[in-house]
Order: sequence, then C-alpha cells, then structure tokens
Amino acid sequence: MNHVFFFVAVIFALGLALLLFWALRGVSSRKGVNEGLEILEKAPRHVGNMSQIRQALDEADLQFAAEKGGPVLAARMRLERRHVMLLYLAAMRRDFDKLLRIARIVALLSPEVSSSHEFDRLRLSAIFRMRFEWTKLRLLMGSYVLPQTDMLGQMVATLATQTEMAMVRLGERAALAAELAVQSER
Amino acid sequence: MLAQLPISSLVTWGLATLLTLILLGRIVWLGQYRDYPLFTGYLACNLLQTVVGVYLYRRYGFSSKSGFRIGWTTQAFVVVARALAATEMCRHVLGKFRGIWAMASRILVICGALVFVAAMYFGRSGYKFAVMTLEIGLESFIATWVVGLFCFARYYHVKIPETIRMLGLGLGLHSVVKVLNDVVFERLVKAYLIEWNYVATSGFLAVLAIWVWGFWRPVEAGVSQPATSAPNVYWELMPQVNRRLLELNEQLGQLWRTEPRRP
Repeated sequence: MNHVFFFVAVIFALGLALLLFWALRGVSSRKGVNEGLEILEKAPRHVGNMSQIRQALDEADLQFAAEKGGPVLAARMRLERRHVMLLYLAAMRRDFDKLLRIARIVALLSPEVSSSHEFDRLRLSAIFRMRFEWTKLRLLMGSYVLPQTDMLGQMVATLATQTEMAMVRLGERAALAAELAVQSER
Repeated sequence: MLAQLPISSLVTWGLATLLTLILLGRIVWLGQYRDYPLFTGYLACNLLQTVVGVYLYRRYGFSSKSGFRIGWTTQAFVVVARALAATEMCRHVLGKFRGIWAMASRILVICGALVFVAAMYFGRSGYKFAVMTLEIGLESFIATWVVGLFCFARYYHVKIPETIRMLGLGLGLHSVVKVLNDVVFERLVKAYLIEWNYVATSGFLAVLAIWVWGFWRPVEAGVSQPATSAPNVYWELMPQVNRRLLELNEQLGQLWRTEPRRP
C-alpha cells in the first residue's frame, strides 16, 4: 500500500465520520413541517417595506440632516442607517431561505424530480449566499451598497411573487398545505 | 485454542455476542423484525459468524489456511448482509419520497461505485491483502451511501425518527472504523494484528450499544408517508425558481462591479 493511498483513505474515513455527525445533527434538530405550513401561508414580507427602506437610505436625507442638524446628527443617522440596512439584509436572507424551503417541499412531494434542477438550485443558492455575505461584509466595512441591496430585494421579491403565482395557478397550494398539516400531526 | 487470544479480545468478543443477542431478542420481542427484516437478518448473520468462528478456531487453530478462507468467506456474507441492512434503512428514510429517492439512489450508487473502484484500484497490495482491500472498498461504499443519504435528508429537511438515526449512525460509524482499521492493518501488518482484532471488536461493541439504545423503545418504522403532488407542479415550478435564482446571482455578480454610492 502506498503512502498516498493510506493518507487519503484515513482523511476520507475521518471526513465521512464528521459529515455523518453533521448530517445527523441536522436531521435531529429540524423544526419539522409546521415551519413549512407557515412558509406557504406567509409570502416574503420585506417587500412591503421596500419603499420605506429606500426612503431611509436616500442620500438627500443624510445631506439634509448634515446641513440642518450638524455632523453629530449626520454621524448618528449614518450609524442607524447601517443598522437598518443590516436588519434589512437579514430579512432578505430569511425570505430567500423561505423560498428555497418552498422549492424543497415541492420537490419532496413530487413523484418525479430532476437532478439537474435540484443541483442547479443547490449551486445557485450556494453562490447567492456567498455573494450575499460579501455584500454584508462590505456594508459592515463602511460601504452603503444601496444599489446592491435595492436590486437584491427586488429580485427576491420577484422570485417570491412568481413562485407564489405559479403555486396558485397550479391549484396545488391547498393540497400541499393540507398534506403538510397531516404530516405535522403524525 | 481460544485461550491463545488476549483476555481483552476475548472479553470484547463475548460482550459483543451478548449485546447482539440482547438486541436481536429485543427486536424479536417488540416485533420490529417486521419493519427491519434485513437488519434482523444481518444480526442473525453476525451471530452465525461467531458460532462458525469459534468452531473454526477450535478445530483448525488461528493460523490454518482453511480457517482463514472460511473465516473471510463468512465475513463476506456479513458485509453483504450489512449492505442490505443499509439499503433497507435508506428506503425507510427517503423511500416514501419517490422523486427524491429515485434521484438520490442513483447519485449515491454512482458515488459509492466510484469510491469502491478507487479503493480497489489505488489500494491494491497484491494477492495477500486482496480480501482486505475488497473489504475496504465495500465498507467505503456502505459509508458513502449512509452518509450521503443523511446529507440528502438534511438538505430536504426530512425529519427522521430516532431509531433510524441510531441505526444509520451505527452503520456509518461501523464502516468508517472498519476502513480505518483495515487501512492501518495493511500498513503495519503483523505489528498491528492483535490491536486490529481488538479495535474491530470494540468498534462493533460501541455500534451495538448505539443500536440497543435506538431500538430499546418501540417507535415508528420510518418517515411518515406523504401524499405526492401532481408531477406538473414540480416541472412547472422548479425551472421558474431556478431561473430566478440564476438571474439573481448574475445580477449580484454584476453589482459587485458597481461602485457603491457614498454619502
């Protein structure tokens, strides 16, 4: 047996053991399907606050505050604005996760699924999360990334609306919700 | 003849046999063999192997070729029985979700087969260790299958009953310990012979304890049966969701290059 195989085999086995614990920990701490019902009942909600967020992040507001209230007020507003943005980002991520959860439930209940669709969604959500974290990091480091956040919110909103519309159009939403309710009772 | 073995090995061997008997008895007593026939068969196979092993060692000793061949042949049956038990567990977890199961089983078989072939090809060490290399390959296959299954379950938020979790944990850990133990043995050979036997039996003992814990209380056999939706729901919805996600990512990528506005 060569050295490389020995080390690769040991790392592989230990990696599998870690992965096993990680996966099992995940399936034991799931919130259950009640969460799914909630998702189906409540569409992503941050969309409703979009106009207020945009208003709050308007540059003219900040400039106006600096002119009228002085630099202390402007600095305070900047800090609060960052805090609001962070909260908004967190809300967007929750909405995004909810949409993914709907997709997972539909996949689970479908008699046929496409591995390419599933893999695509996995890959895209991973990329989204990575970029999302990057956007958040930039915000924390001082960038106000208003255009990014604004467009991100719109995109999540569009996704939510389209998903919701598709589900309603197909007339399956009630059936899914009923099924999930039955499952959660078992 | 058995007295030639170290006392620690004999104790662990005896304890493992005792725990197997207790577990098997418990499963039969609670009627769980109806839900887990292949796992019950695997435990019975294990007990049978112990009986054959004792007979072989008493009759031929530890260093006879006949004993070696028959011993490893029985081991092949046990590994195959465990692989079948793992398949049974997988059906309990994802089998009721037809679409996901069809996809997951295909992916897991491909991944397992790749790992098996890689282990057989890169781990070959001549005829002497052929059986052990085969065991490493098979155990890697089982471990990959079990771990992959739970990763799928986690990704799709499938809630799994404790009995199945414990069963899966035991099966996965057993295969991982076997792989590690065999790989170290192939490297150190005789210097590790006594420890190899001890580690293998101790590992099995720990796994049995996990299974006894999992099967002690009578619980539901598997994941609850969902009513599947019409196929067109998935096929119409998923492309839309994925397309939107793709657009989202593309736009995010473009946004990176956008100079942020500063107050």
